[in-house]
Amino acid sequence: MKLIKLLAIASILLITGCTTVPVTVKFPDAPAMILEKCPQLKVIEGNTVSIIDFTKTVTLNYTTYYECAVKNDAWIEWYQKQKKIFEEVQGD
Amino acid sequence: MFLLNFLPNWIFHAILAVGILGLISSFILNFIPSFKLYHLPIQVISVLLIAVGVWFEGAISNQAEWEARVAEMQIKVAEAEAKSQETNVQIITKTVKKLELVKTRGDDIINYVDREVVKDREVIKFVENCPIPQIIINTHNAAALNQPIEINK
Repeated sequence: MKLIKLLAIASILLITGCTTVPVTVKFPDAPAMILEKCPQLKVIEGNTVSIIDFTKTVTLNYTTYYECAVKNDAWIEWYQKQKKIFEEVQGD
Repeated sequence: MFLLNFLPNWIFHAILAVGILGLISSFILNFIPSFKLYHLPIQVISVLLIAVGVWFEGAISNQAEWEARVAEMQIKVAEAEAKSQETNVQIITKTVKKLELVKTRGDDIINYVDREVVKDREVIKFVENCPIPQIIINTHNAAALNQPIEINK
């Protein structure tokens, strides 16, 4: 019984050595703009289509591609920069 | 150290001081015949108080060091959050400008088609005589939707 009491007292004393670090670093949320999905490309509708409409649809699709590429590049840049900032804090 | 959070530091300084004083007085009391009886218990209690006092002095020192590091870390986290926010703003601003440019260029080309290309004699002649074959339209649409082409023999 004495041993158990001694162990209990020793455990309580050891617990006094416990500590927690209250500072945590959270990885930031990405801006909504760069999280948007790429839209579907346009298709040509109708059976008789002129070369004009064809050209316009192709142009619209190229524009859609470049818009999507800009967002994708922004996402890559955002992630790389935020990762660097996050690792700078984590590394200390 | 949860005990350090509940109790003020002076209590632990006092425990150490009482222990040291008790130990010194136990040696002095040893020379006084009427108090000689209490010499040993006072010495034992004093040694225990010194042990507990030294333990908590170390804990206080450690706690102070941790608190300093936590404060330093909090500053770094705040700085990183500000830098992160600044980076977000820079990237969004740059992306918005690039998107506007892409859209403007696309619109310009569409307008050019409506304004100039439709008037071109060669194009007019082509539109009148050469409708786009259905197979070309189907191929384009399959590519736009990234779907397999249905081969019609």
